[in-house]
Amino acid sequence: MPDGVVLRGLRVEGPQGVLVQGVDLDVLPGRIHVLVGASGSGKTLSARSLLGMVDARPGVTQATLEVTWGDQTWRPYEGLDLNSRRARAVAERRFRPLRGSILGYLPQDARRSLDPLWTVGRQLRAALALREQPHDDGPAAWLARAGFPQPERVEPLYPHELSGGMAQRASIALALARGSRFLLADEPTTGLDPTVQEAILQELLALRDQEGVGLLFITHDLRIVPRLADRLYVMHAGSLVEDLPGDQLDQLTSQPARALWQATARIAGGVLG
Amino acid sequence: MNLSGAVGLAVMSAVVVAWGVSLVSGYDVVADVNPEHMNLGPASAHWLGTDHLGRDVAWRLVTASEVFVGPGLFACLLALLLGVPAGAWAGWVGGLGAELVRYVFTVIASLPRFVLVLLVCAIYGSSVWTLAAAAAVAYSPAIAEAVYSRIATFRGREFVLAAEAHGVHWARILGWHLLWVNGKTLIARHALQLFAYFLLVETTLSYIGALEAGAGFGVPEPTPSWGNMIAFEWGVRHGNQWATWAPALAIWVVILGALLLADGLAEGDHA
Amino acid sequence: MSAPPPDRRRQLALLSALGRRFGAFVLTLLGAALLAQVLLWSAPGDAADLLAGDPELRAALVVEMGLDRPPHVAWWAFVTHALGGDLGRSLTYRPGMAVLELVQPAALRSLVLVVGALVVSLLVGTALAYVTAGRRSLGRRLLQAVSIAPVFLMAWVLVVGLNEWAFELMLQDRIVRPSWFALPDQESLLKWALAIGVLAVGSSAVTEVHSACEDELKAIRRSGYVDAARARGARLWPHVLWNLVPPLTTIASSRAAFFVGGLVVVEKVLHLNGVGAMLWQACRLRDVPLALGITFVAAAVVCGARLLADVLRVTVDPRLRTQT
Repeated sequence: MPDGVVLRGLRVEGPQGVLVQGVDLDVLPGRIHVLVGASGSGKTLSARSLLGMVDARPGVTQATLEVTWGDQTWRPYEGLDLNSRRARAVAERRFRPLRGSILGYLPQDARRSLDPLWTVGRQLRAALALREQPHDDGPAAWLARAGFPQPERVEPLYPHELSGGMAQRASIALALARGSRFLLADEPTTGLDPTVQEAILQELLALRDQEGVGLLFITHDLRIVPRLADRLYVMHAGSLVEDLPGDQLDQLTSQPARALWQATARIAGGVLG
Repeated sequence: MNLSGAVGLAVMSAVVVAWGVSLVSGYDVVADVNPEHMNLGPASAHWLGTDHLGRDVAWRLVTASEVFVGPGLFACLLALLLGVPAGAWAGWVGGLGAELVRYVFTVIASLPRFVLVLLVCAIYGSSVWTLAAAAAVAYSPAIAEAVYSRIATFRGREFVLAAEAHGVHWARILGWHLLWVNGKTLIARHALQLFAYFLLVETTLSYIGALEAGAGFGVPEPTPSWGNMIAFEWGVRHGNQWATWAPALAIWVVILGALLLADGLAEGDHA
Repeated sequence: MSAPPPDRRRQLALLSALGRRFGAFVLTLLGAALLAQVLLWSAPGDAADLLAGDPELRAALVVEMGLDRPPHVAWWAFVTHALGGDLGRSLTYRPGMAVLELVQPAALRSLVLVVGALVVSLLVGTALAYVTAGRRSLGRRLLQAVSIAPVFLMAWVLVVGLNEWAFELMLQDRIVRPSWFALPDQESLLKWALAIGVLAVGSSAVTEVHSACEDELKAIRRSGYVDAARARGARLWPHVLWNLVPPLTTIASSRAAFFVGGLVVVEKVLHLNGVGAMLWQACRLRDVPLALGITFVAAAVVCGARLLADVLRVTVDPRLRTQT
């Protein structure tokens, strides 16, 4: 089986009803797949279901997930009646070998995702210690790979001393140091100013091209899609409404996606035109 | 007000009623001694039975309210007098003045409350009124700090600044708007907590004072206090169990009631 | 990109934060000593009255014991002597003995109680918070209701209850008379265990730790860093435990005053000879220097606990070092 993450037929339910229905996603090595949707469309839930970290109750009630790397394949949701608590505990155990080593997560608020009591260097060392195959490089090397020009100065810093952009890059360094093969980047550039956004996007492109990492990039901003996306998913109100190659944006068929695209074009054109 | 607050109100009302009844009726501590009726269980003549000197337990239970209700109210008043103006002023002016006031109260608070109360009683004697004053002084830092916090929080709010800009006198803003309208539930809650604390202190000292006769702590026998009623039956075999468990229960219920009422008032307090 | 503060500036910020807290500690302690002196100076009767009936002898005693000095003079003398380790001499409790000598062995016994109560309340409170995990539990309400009872009442209930229970069992020939039965002065492990338990519950330490722990655990479990650690496949407990330390130290140090106050009653009621019991005697005998010495030690413990907690918090949490 080829390396990759394949999700079919995801259904997520919350206390108020169905949140996500019938979603199919792929994450492939060396590819950036962009998942776009308005707030509340279910994109974060879908991504977190790949990690088994959906916190809603009852949560994931239906899903077929296949994760392959090298000669190993994992199917964490297989054969489980996901409505029962025992099944959830079993799924949790099955996901543990996947988290970090195969699937990594880049959270939206990077600064809050770092333990406030630990320095950046210490968190990197902790991530390095979790690797299945130890690496020789120290924290500074990984910070350099994440785009820091002076990694020795960043190592002794605490999270509250980092700016938003620095924290996001530290987060990337952590994911790299951990050695995740696939990264789920949850709106990593939202809220950062444009120059920093650009820098982060460059890092992520480098990740794909140089390290061969497969990325699922979640955003509500369509503007980055043309540069980044090998494939585009559009979600609306819990369902997948578009699934097409990234260079075929003119072939959007669904009404929500077209509306989003037109609004985006107007904003982008209005600002720069 | 929620259910627990209502329960608290009921308990405190019962205490006030008992106090009133006791004040009106009076109690002759000597005449009540009745060796023929020792250690009786509950009956129609004595609702909770008698203690080992033949005294009616129920009536002593009611009369004991005199020992803590009056002085308790006095303690509340005194503590409010000490804590509220100082805390309010500190919250209002801020800066060095506030730091100075808070320092004074921090110093008072650095002595554990019971240690302070004990010290004052040892120096000035152990009448309940002295006890009340000591408890008030020991509790005033908590009140001052709470009022300070509340006033300081409100100091910068728009409605205060607007009132100042409109020329409303600062005393009216502080006294009426901040302390009364926005602060009265906070103050009432602390007063209730102090009342509970005073009952605790009075009964503790009376209990220990009764165990060690002549030590001069708390309310001396034969004046009834729930504390000395418990201690008085110590070592009595085959006595009336109600003679000790009734006052014990009463202490716990009244403290609980005061605190429940304080919590009930907190429900309506929007800060 | 913001420039990181140089190491020197960081160290200075840490030192100044600690220095300020130590200064506050010293100032508060000085104030407490003054307060105690003022109280004692305004006493209507004093130790001299207890010892001597003759007015001339009394006057001589007053001068010798230094009871005629104005409070600020006495306070300054007390402070300067205290710095040298001299807390005065007992007047009536053990006349002539140095207060420090008297207090030390008693303080050790009381320390066992306080530390025991602290450990118990931290362990039980944390464990309860972990178990109840925010669910509205009846057991917690019950514990809160029990905690508000006066310490003497708790001790009384336990002692009476235990004695009754032992008596019943003895009547039924089920057990032999236990060594502690109806003998309040008898030393026993049971008495110490009771004292520690009553102190931990009665000072509301268990319920406060439980409450705070529950809130903190909830916040920590929901936090971004625990979520990210979980996504990384890392162990969660180091993150949870160390982030629990700052709020727990705050709670524990705030309970210090209640521990000491409760200690005074517990020792008296359960007949344990610590500083609490000694304070009762000193007050009863109007032993001014002893009472003052013990009060000062009590204030030092309360302030010291606060200082210790601050130091620990600043050490563990780097965010506190740069705050003013």
